[in-house]
Amino acid sequence: MNLSKILKNAFLIILASLVLTACATKKTSTTTGQIQGDTYTGTDTVKELAKGVPDRVFFATNETVLTTASRETLRKQAGWLRKNSDINVVLEGHADERGTREYNLALGERRANSAKDYLMTYGISSDRISVLSYGKERPVDSGSSPLAWSKNRRSVTVKAN
Amino acid sequence: MLLRYLFILLIVIPAKAFALIEVDITRGNLNPLPVAVSPLSIDNKSKENFKKILKKEDLGSEISVIVENNLRQSGLFNPLNKDAFLQEPDVANLKPRFEDWNLIKAQALVTGKVTFIDEKLRVEFRLWDVLAGKEMMALAFTTVPSNWRRVGHIITDKVYERLTGEKGYFDTRIIYIAEEGPKIKRIKKLAIMDQDGFNNKYLTLGNELVLTPRFSPTNQMVTYLSYFRNLPRVYLLDIETGMQEVVGDFPGMTFAPRFSPDGKKIIMSFAKDGNSDIYTMDLENRIVERITNHPSIDTSPSYSPDGKRITFNSDRSGYQQIYVMDSNGKNVKRISFGNGLYGTPVWSPRGDLIAFTKLHKGKFYIGVMRTDGTGERLLTENFYQEAPSWSPNGRVLIFYRETKTNSKGEGFSAKLWSIDLTGYNEKMVETETDASDPSWSSLLSN
Amino acid sequence: MNRNIFISFGLHIFLVIITAMSLPFLSKKPIDLPPIISVELIQITDKTNIPFAPKAKKIIEKVKEKEKKLVSEQAPPKKIKKQKPDAVPLPDEKIEKIKKIKDEKQNPEKVETEVKQISEFEKKELFDTNSIAALIDKSKTESAETNKKLDKVTQDQDKEMDFGGLTLSEEDALKAQIFGCWSIPLGLPFNEDLLVRIKLQLKPDGSIIKTEILDHARMNRPGQGFYKVLAESALRAIKLCQPLRVPSTGYERWKDMQLNFDAREMLEG
Repeated sequence: MNLSKILKNAFLIILASLVLTACATKKTSTTTGQIQGDTYTGTDTVKELAKGVPDRVFFATNETVLTTASRETLRKQAGWLRKNSDINVVLEGHADERGTREYNLALGERRANSAKDYLMTYGISSDRISVLSYGKERPVDSGSSPLAWSKNRRSVTVKAN
Repeated sequence: MLLRYLFILLIVIPAKAFALIEVDITRGNLNPLPVAVSPLSIDNKSKENFKKILKKEDLGSEISVIVENNLRQSGLFNPLNKDAFLQEPDVANLKPRFEDWNLIKAQALVTGKVTFIDEKLRVEFRLWDVLAGKEMMALAFTTVPSNWRRVGHIITDKVYERLTGEKGYFDTRIIYIAEEGPKIKRIKKLAIMDQDGFNNKYLTLGNELVLTPRFSPTNQMVTYLSYFRNLPRVYLLDIETGMQEVVGDFPGMTFAPRFSPDGKKIIMSFAKDGNSDIYTMDLENRIVERITNHPSIDTSPSYSPDGKRITFNSDRSGYQQIYVMDSNGKNVKRISFGNGLYGTPVWSPRGDLIAFTKLHKGKFYIGVMRTDGTGERLLTENFYQEAPSWSPNGRVLIFYRETKTNSKGEGFSAKLWSIDLTGYNEKMVETETDASDPSWSSLLSN
Repeated sequence: MNRNIFISFGLHIFLVIITAMSLPFLSKKPIDLPPIISVELIQITDKTNIPFAPKAKKIIEKVKEKEKKLVSEQAPPKKIKKQKPDAVPLPDEKIEKIKKIKDEKQNPEKVETEVKQISEFEKKELFDTNSIAALIDKSKTESAETNKKLDKVTQDQDKEMDFGGLTLSEEDALKAQIFGCWSIPLGLPFNEDLLVRIKLQLKPDGSIIKTEILDHARMNRPGQGFYKVLAESALRAIKLCQPLRVPSTGYERWKDMQLNFDAREMLEG
């Protein structure tokens, strides 16, 4: 191979490499909300049942399992419920809009039950906890983005009395 | 011996003629059939009477407009412009001058007459084959004047059936959820209307959330999900009286209700402790029967028209798929195997197909498949759409679509849409408010 | 951030160089490609118009070859009289048959096979033109073999070999015309038998004298309501398309015609 050809090839190689390098994706991190593993980890829509006791847990798409963060939240809720033994709660389960309506009703119910079961492992009596599903009927965020949807996939603990 | 030779002669001779030419015609056009709907002729006395009772100037013309619109909406017919009609309605009804109608390229002609007699509305109509120059059909019937719109729908059904071979679907109603308000706080009411959008009525006030209504086969009752007193349960509503009652006494959420084809049972899902299974309740003796017993979510059941099998939605395989089982819950078989999630299976009234919603790569599809799962066909794709419901002749699907909201969460709307089984004639169904969860009644007349 | 870019860049260069060195085309000379041969694509329609049954076709072809030999041996002109059914072929036929009969007398074996053929034929419907054609040709084969000497009679046989079908372009013209006129009812069930055959009698200018729907009984059978609708749509198409695009000559050929309307293709897709 002659020199010009070698130079030409080398140039092409370098150009290709540059193009490939530039394709790295940026990681977004906002201060208002975050998604980790498809589950919402922000505090935007979260209210408090009592000081330091978040009222809700979040779920990944189509999932009903509790994340570590969710379990942490529910542990705090259980503690608060033990301290206030006269309070009963309703766990409201929700789903995002990216699914069929009836299946989402069942999904919401399952999510709320996930949370209920976990609370019960901390000794909270099932008489004090009732479950209600709203499916996708009551979103907190009316947006049509993955972030909005992640905020809607939740189980919210509400005081019943 | 001679006879045999004579026989041979006889056989061989006719074949001397040229053999018959055969030409195969395998293509045509799928253009809507041009049809002329002449205004129904009406005598002056009847005209006056109807004007008094119904406040309609020319009932004969009004009824023909209903027929025209129905035929046009079906996508199979092209009703021609009345201004081009050469013959007057009263003459055309008795003996059409086919050359006149041929001139405007009509291939079929509807004529008729409406009279006010004995306080009742009497209509007779005829369907003519313009090209052949002969009558195809002639019918007459009587009803109360307030049913005048249904008269137009019934005429359409008969004409449609005679020209396509299929039963019509025009004398029907649609029950749906009328929606208003911001997405995070929607007000939902139970609503009912004629299939062409007229006679819209609200059946609930909007104080509690109502969802997924279904007609009974007798068209007298409706079943739906209501959050009355914050307890989501299946209810029954009598359309005539407005009476509502909760179905059964379940200690948990019941939802996704439908009627059995004989109208005697309600089939629905019951959710308890995180598990949703399918149950039936007999409306007469109130006996509850458990149909599925599986830790997965089982919902959206739909009976086959003969009542022997049920198709339903289950995530027992890990994701939402469509299954078919015997009506007693045995022989559960999965029938959806494509890529994506499947939901809302509905069995066609013809028994040959199951319509469904499919979600794949972020898009929603309305599709149909045969009852064994083969022949999957997707009819339409959208950002969000679901819940198809069949017209009573198993030809048209009505469903609903929601729009994407902008970055501020604004611009949300939900509307009813319909599409023909062939994928043609996709169009929006007009409603006063936003609408969702449509369900088609069976034919009101038989 | 910058460090990451440099590392990424370096690794990418490394990868690309490795790839480049192992790829043959970067180091070797370009290969000589063979010259491109142009191929002409000819459209051939699926079916050529053969009105006779396939079995008969084979026999016809066999006979045709034999006829060619025979004809070339013969001096007489290639003029082919158009044979009208009104003209009297009967006497000729009789002569031909008589010849055959004579032959049979001479060859008893032939008689046997003749007899066999007749009995086979008796089993079938009498007026099936296709089987009649097959029979003629079979019998012709025999008379051709036995009759080496040719005269006017065999020339008549030659004329009988004329199929009387439409040429491809004539057929296409007629088809195209009817395609435009036939409004296929969209409501037909696409998984049923959607074939309706209509026999036509035509005037020389292409207008219709008479139409006849074969399978007429099917129109009123329960559950076959769509067949009636389909048949009616086909009749409308024919009426709408009058006068039909018929060939300008050879009226005797096509004055009786059969149109086979099949909606399956349009509705299945």
